[in-house]
Amino acid sequence: MKIYLLDDLQHLQAHLAQDYQFHQVVTNNNGQYHWQQLASDETQPLVHDKPQSSAKGFFFAEQESLLVFNGEYFQETLPTPKPFVLFGVQSCDLTAIHYQDKFFKDDRYYQARRQQCLLVGLDCINPCEHGFCPTVNAGPGVREEHADIVLHPLGHKWLVIEQTSKAAEALQALALIETHWHYLTQRDLTLHQCEQKFPDDKYITDGIKKLNSGTITDEFWQTLAIQCRGCSGCTTLCPTCSCYGTRAIKQDNNAFSQQRFWDSCLYEGFQREASFNNPSAEAGTRVERFWQHKFADEFFTEFSRHSCVGCGRCEQTCPGVIGVHSVMKRITKEGGQENGPEVTHA
Amino acid sequence: MLSHIPDCIELVDYIDDGEQARHYLFRLLNLAHSKNKNHPHHWQQVQPGQFFMLNVPSIGEAPFTFTEPPNERGEFKAFIRQMGQVTSTLFSMQRGAILGARGPFGRGWPLDKIVNHNTLIIAGGCGLAPLVTLIDKLTNNSPDKPTDKLANKAKNKQQLILVYGARNKAAQMLTPERARWQKQIKIFNTLDATDEYTSTNANTRANTSDNTRANNSNELRATTVQGSPLMILPTALSTFTRPPTTALLCGPELMMSSAATYLTEHGMTSDAIFLALERRMHCALGLCGHCYIKHQYVCKSGPTFSWQALQQLKAD
Amino acid sequence: MANKLINAICPFCGVGCGIALSVDEKGKLIGVEPQPSHPISQGKLCDKGWSTAYAITDKNRLTQPLKRINHQFFPISWQEALVSIAEELTQIIEYSGANSVGVISSARATNEDNYAAQKFARAVLKTNNIDHCARICHSPTVAGLKQSLGSGAMTNSAKDIFDTDLIMVFGADPTENHSILGGHIMQAHLNGCKLIVIDPRKIRLAKLAPLHLQLKLGSNIALINAMLHVIIKEKWYDKDFIDQRCEGFEHLAKHVENITPISVEAITGLKATDIYQAAKQYSQAKRAMIFYGMGITQYMSGTNNVISLANLALICGHIGKPGTGVNPLRGQNNVQGACDMGCLPNVYPGYQNVDDEKAHEKFSNAWHTELAKAPGLTSLGMTKGALSGEFRALILFGEDPVVTDPDQNHVKSSLKNLDLLVVAELTLTETAKLADFVLPAASFAEKEGTFTNCERRVQKLNQVIAPVGQAKGDWQWLQALAKQMGSEQLNWSNSQDVFNEMTSLTPPYQAMNYQKLEDNYGLQWPCTDDSPKGTAILHSTSFPIGKARLIAVNHSDIDEMPDENFPLQLTTNRLHFHYGCGSMTRNSPLLEREIPPGILFINPIDANKLNISHQDAVSVKSRRGYLETRAIVTNDVPVGLVSMPYHFKEAPSNQLTNTAQDPITKMPELKACAVMVAALAKGQIPKTIEQLQQEPKHENLFT
Repeated sequence: MKIYLLDDLQHLQAHLAQDYQFHQVVTNNNGQYHWQQLASDETQPLVHDKPQSSAKGFFFAEQESLLVFNGEYFQETLPTPKPFVLFGVQSCDLTAIHYQDKFFKDDRYYQARRQQCLLVGLDCINPCEHGFCPTVNAGPGVREEHADIVLHPLGHKWLVIEQTSKAAEALQALALIETHWHYLTQRDLTLHQCEQKFPDDKYITDGIKKLNSGTITDEFWQTLAIQCRGCSGCTTLCPTCSCYGTRAIKQDNNAFSQQRFWDSCLYEGFQREASFNNPSAEAGTRVERFWQHKFADEFFTEFSRHSCVGCGRCEQTCPGVIGVHSVMKRITKEGGQENGPEVTHA
Repeated sequence: MLSHIPDCIELVDYIDDGEQARHYLFRLLNLAHSKNKNHPHHWQQVQPGQFFMLNVPSIGEAPFTFTEPPNERGEFKAFIRQMGQVTSTLFSMQRGAILGARGPFGRGWPLDKIVNHNTLIIAGGCGLAPLVTLIDKLTNNSPDKPTDKLANKAKNKQQLILVYGARNKAAQMLTPERARWQKQIKIFNTLDATDEYTSTNANTRANTSDNTRANNSNELRATTVQGSPLMILPTALSTFTRPPTTALLCGPELMMSSAATYLTEHGMTSDAIFLALERRMHCALGLCGHCYIKHQYVCKSGPTFSWQALQQLKAD
Repeated sequence: MANKLINAICPFCGVGCGIALSVDEKGKLIGVEPQPSHPISQGKLCDKGWSTAYAITDKNRLTQPLKRINHQFFPISWQEALVSIAEELTQIIEYSGANSVGVISSARATNEDNYAAQKFARAVLKTNNIDHCARICHSPTVAGLKQSLGSGAMTNSAKDIFDTDLIMVFGADPTENHSILGGHIMQAHLNGCKLIVIDPRKIRLAKLAPLHLQLKLGSNIALINAMLHVIIKEKWYDKDFIDQRCEGFEHLAKHVENITPISVEAITGLKATDIYQAAKQYSQAKRAMIFYGMGITQYMSGTNNVISLANLALICGHIGKPGTGVNPLRGQNNVQGACDMGCLPNVYPGYQNVDDEKAHEKFSNAWHTELAKAPGLTSLGMTKGALSGEFRALILFGEDPVVTDPDQNHVKSSLKNLDLLVVAELTLTETAKLADFVLPAASFAEKEGTFTNCERRVQKLNQVIAPVGQAKGDWQWLQALAKQMGSEQLNWSNSQDVFNEMTSLTPPYQAMNYQKLEDNYGLQWPCTDDSPKGTAILHSTSFPIGKARLIAVNHSDIDEMPDENFPLQLTTNRLHFHYGCGSMTRNSPLLEREIPPGILFINPIDANKLNISHQDAVSVKSRRGYLETRAIVTNDVPVGLVSMPYHFKEAPSNQLTNTAQDPITKMPELKACAVMVAALAKGQIPKTIEQLQQEPKHENLFT
């Protein structure tokens, strides 16, 4: 690991934009934050706001071709992206990428993109709306293995932390000057102060406990699910949702391409079989599934963390008012017995 | 070989069997270059109970079980019911058509708990299909492997009984298979429909003494009764000379869980009962998410599960 | 991933949510996002909105004009198409007069397109034969509210949902049809706002509402009259408001004097105590809002239903203030705009009557041409005229009446009888299949313009991508056709020109321009020099007709009651996964997977009697048609009632529905008819209407 002090971030941006396809979060005229590709001569100041769509689509594309069939044989259609940099990914989204890296370990399409990417993380020094990353160990500071480079704002300067050999290679030509380790202590302090600024969200920790206690009733989920219309908003914006469907798209002369596209486990048809048998026919079952996937301990065991990274995007986008904050509050208030799991097993 | 990319197969032949159902014979087209006996191709390592993804060009993919695993010519069989778009299109295809197949996928039946164990098999409707290769193996009916060691071992020591339930006569599937097994093992057929119940042979009345006699005299014949597979279980269990130590279940989930509950209440342990599940699947690689049961995916952890494992999943 | 994110307005329903379309470097639409700061949708979208990218990037999109020769379509050039259409139109007008031709415009097209369509009809073809689909959703709203209040639009705004004490949802299913508003209503209710649902079906909101009046089909007026009775008898009405702002109270009070809750128990199927409760809660609430939908309008008594809702709001003084009002939930994204633009046979833009001498003069002068004086034909009038041969040529865009209109067999044969049918569409819809010429239309993402949502908010739409193939925006091809016919009437150079001409002639839009719309997330009409920032709440100080009119109306039975042969009542509904005729939403593999092609909701008790299980194939037969579909067994519909969505061309409910009409607006009674349901053989796959119609044995049913 090497640390550098940088006066002008634009210097770094322009440098990276020359060697890589350069993507950064920008804002449009309505105050909407989103990822956009920028040329080296059109870099923009780094914004600290959470983009509405996470970075997952860079690796797990919203729609992509898996293969083509030419009438005689099947052929893989792997993407061949040029090297690209995601500049200023926040810790919640980086944690999600780290999670997906494990989940899609053997997925050639995901990896084809992922391996071309240089991740430049950005420490958050202020809480964002609906965000609760510290509670689920996903922020506000970028975790060690989650990015190649970490940027930390120091007033008018930037701390640049080089974490991987990929980063070293990318930064080499810039000839940055290494700086003192005490800046890392200052970083820790700033991040700690940021954590203190998050609102009290004990209901989330309590909710996770309760969710894993097996005491939440089916009736609770069914009542909650009246509000779910399977719009797919939460699963689309959730940085760790990864379910997909496939479809064949006919071409001329017996040929076709097979495409995969983002799917949502909240759809009634998600598990419905051709025979109309449906293991998750009840909306309550599906809503429960979604939250289990985000917070159940079994997934924790497999991925060493919960899949929820605390970005709060589901709260913002759910038209049925059952995003993470609303649900966790209701779980702690109504979901079965009043007290947590300790009591129920007594 | 876990991949999204199918191998090409040819639709060689098919025969009708039962209600809108067919036996299909497919042939893998890319096995020519992989006949090395020391390094068998992944298609030649299919375990009973595993499945493959059939790709019907321009329509889509769906999972099906093998009723006969690929032989060295790459030929394999599957039993397929016409249900949705994929199968409807398949049913309209001519012999010689080119399709795709990926596999084998999933965990098959636990052979170590079946071979040399008295085994009760309960199947409903087309739930019999995933059991065909297994029963063939155990009864030494594997067409391509006349000297299967497993089978020889099994034949001598174990007792195998099949309970097969169907909605009505028309819904009974896999007739040729059952016909050849009933020379070697006891089969109880049940039919839900009351009006379809007909006495077809002398052994129709399912009662213990009859069956014991049938067993003793080595005259194994199929018995058909009206009702659900569950109703015949006491008879089936008492037909065993020694109680079964393994049970294999495949059919509607409700039927399987009732049967599993009954068996555990009657002396079997939940780790000796195995169920094969059906789920919608798109990738068979544990990625697309469709076949979830709690935190597991049926395509990888299944399709066969022990009743113990399933109950643990449900309790979580 | 996105290279650009461009703001647009969701093309699906009347809510008008803000969406942002992401486009890759090749200019291809790859995804959508909500707009977090949009005043209505606030960062949310429904399932339809989320799948917008699928809706318009369909491989079946029409890319060039088509000409039908016998039963086949052949691609032709725009020039060839325009020349042929212009020639035929001119000939028909020459021989049979301008009244033999007409235009049906689209509630899905922009205001600019609709303005151009009515101007094309009036100033080029010289006829008032111009209409659009509001006929079959909200024409009773326009007629009813105009009589009672003087203006036929939603009186309040979406934001009022969070600023009220009670919401009464009447014959509407907002969570399914206006998902984002439905969500707001849920949220308001969770925050403590009272919620009353009045609907024959147990809709999603009914499952959350403490008070659900599950009334019988078509008994709205009986119920409302009984509520009026209670409110008047208990003196819960707003005397000051009535005195100052209404007329006709004495007469109304006398009219409902004997209509007690008990007296309507049989007609409505409700308990008198529940009616009393609803009347009490609504009238006693400090602020109360009514939302209603097609469960009010799609009846023979549609206009009277709307009038009685207005009565209810008026006597309680729940109008003209924040958190109150009579609020129709309009179906299509621009149905309000299409009406505002005068795509109706009796009014010019801004609801100026064509038979009003002054208005006639105003438009004749503005357009420098003599206009037809007599009101034109409605869309149903046009189909009738087509059958009899008096109406000969129709230009239609963005609508699929063969799927969505009542009694489709009638529509189909009348369209076939036309000498010239021109259809402009995104894809080859069922209606387009009957056309002589099919023109490729640009989708909402491929053109600039404005939409007016149900709360009268006029919002700017940006062009995001280039039109597919040779597709053109509607006003552009109308312009080209007008030119071909020798008219300079539609010679605008861009959509802003169209808008500016329109605002100069349309008083409620008078002070609007593109820049102001962009700057304010749209503006709500009336937007005039007196109210340059628009108007969130109508009627706050006076009504356009001075005092509001309380008009006494009577319950009338629905036209076709169940009987021995057709023992079940059929109503229609919508599914939140689909929109209109499904021509856009059904391109999404996700939405298409959700529902098998065509379904019938049936109560378990009825299903049991008929030996029908969940997802079984069933047949449905009415006096007008026969179709096959799958049963969804659910308690959401009461015993005796079955319900079908109308999105599916395989099993269109409009094969069955009744054509009996509201005498005032000609609104067909789509919400109620009598049917017979039977199980098909187990395992049988329902036949599509196309398959059925090819079978000779069913032919007698279609005559």
